[in-house]
Amino acid sequence: MLSPGEVTNVRRDDPLLPRPMAVFRQRPASGPESPSDVEVLYKVEGRGTALLAEAREGARIRLVGPLGRPFPTPRPGARVVVVGGGTGIASVYGLAAEAPSGSRSTLILGARSATDLMARADFEALPAILQFTTEDGSLGEKGLVTAPLERALAEGDVDTVYCCGPTPMMRACAERAAAAGVTCVVSLENNMACGFGVCLGCAAPRPAGDYALVCRDGPVFDASEIQWDGLP
Amino acid sequence: MSDAVDMRVDLAGIPLRNPVLTASGTFGYGTELAPFLDLTRIGGFVAKSLTPKPRIGNPPPRIAEVPAGMLNAISLENVGVEAFVEDKLPALPEGVTVIASVFGTEPAHYAEVCERLAEVPRVAGIEVNASCPHVKAGGIEFGQDPKMLGDLVTVVKRAARQPVLVKLSPNVTRIADMAKVCEDAGADGLSLINAVQAMDVDIRRRRTVLRNGLGGLSGPAIRPIALRMVWQAAQAVKIPICGIGGISTPEDAIKFLLCGATAIQVGTANYLDPEAAGRIADGIADYAREQGFPRVSDLVGALESW
Repeated sequence: MLSPGEVTNVRRDDPLLPRPMAVFRQRPASGPESPSDVEVLYKVEGRGTALLAEAREGARIRLVGPLGRPFPTPRPGARVVVVGGGTGIASVYGLAAEAPSGSRSTLILGARSATDLMARADFEALPAILQFTTEDGSLGEKGLVTAPLERALAEGDVDTVYCCGPTPMMRACAERAAAAGVTCVVSLENNMACGFGVCLGCAAPRPAGDYALVCRDGPVFDASEIQWDGLP
Repeated sequence: MSDAVDMRVDLAGIPLRNPVLTASGTFGYGTELAPFLDLTRIGGFVAKSLTPKPRIGNPPPRIAEVPAGMLNAISLENVGVEAFVEDKLPALPEGVTVIASVFGTEPAHYAEVCERLAEVPRVAGIEVNASCPHVKAGGIEFGQDPKMLGDLVTVVKRAARQPVLVKLSPNVTRIADMAKVCEDAGADGLSLINAVQAMDVDIRRRRTVLRNGLGGLSGPAIRPIALRMVWQAAQAVKIPICGIGGISTPEDAIKFLLCGATAIQVGTANYLDPEAAGRIADGIADYAREQGFPRVSDLVGALESW
């Protein structure tokens, strides 16, 4: 089984390099040819995702995975705050969906506007307290994910903040969590060529002055292991 | 099968199960690929270039995608020769042929690594990285200056106990001259080509895509250039050649063999498909059988003239 936060490298024949994409959901096979269905969420950004979007049912797509270290499982009974932004919401879906019984999740999802938010109904069906933020106010609270995160942290009993989204968002969440003395784990989204520790392309600077590999040492890191200023 | 093809080749005194190796810097220290590929399906691998001491690489961004290829400027991040011998080699399964790649900013560094490896029987051969295109103080100068290249080969040959392959830079005017210099200095074989020096720009940020500015171009984009250089080098020297450059399919690999390469290395393709080298080895055997060649070595230099 795939775990929340694990990544697969997704590729058609063009362009050259695969695209690291978090597993959104793994489900029983829908057809006889597939051992199970793996779902990813992506936004059409460039040539690779545009070609992926043109793929018809039955098209062959290569996946290499699962790759990387997944999110640590929330402790039973612990209150966790899960923050997702952009396509990073895929990475955190499983955390809320597979949370151990007795744990309490607050799920904060941010998007530019309501139309940018993917898989909304799936998130609304999760056993978590759900809070949307949009920059234009078209869904939920107007503004950024950091406002509801700060309110949740102010309530005082948060065990861990889990976060995946654009780098500035993760950095802001990590800073809010650190200020409240709460552990924050983030899932980085650096470009990579291989996904299994040999191209050394996905280097993320650490406070000690050396580099972690996002594919091998992450993509999930304790935010204190990341030197945010040096990230590409 | 009665008509099985003999896939064994001798690369400069290194006996290989088949002619498919994987290129330095694209295969880590071997163990990283083991979950995806049975390492005994391929002839062997060339490990990440080693320096006397561990090295930390360049700040990111280190890689970028370009049409039919990628740019990289990693700057030879490696664990150092001692950790390679003590930790990395013992972690490999039995029966995997290992070629060590060596690098230094001066000839004495190459010699130091080769001397440490001389007493390590697990290392079947040495590949001299004389061509890394993105380290200001080393690499490119050795590979681009015939005098410096010849002197380096002499120093390495004196220090090394295993067969020595010299990996040539494509960033030269006449590859045949560089090949000849290495042969004259005692190299046992040649590997070519390394990445082609290149750059790209992000026009929105008005910056180079790589933090380092310049990088090395690899992947299918360089394959015809590599094939031309292998063919030219093969005309110029008698020592065996290992062909490298954008090889992604069995067909690509066969072209290099026909142009005179005794063996080949799969590089960037390992990133996209960690099983690529295994599939390429299988495909070469299928081709040789179909075409009626009992030994894969019969394909080497078998290019017909018009």
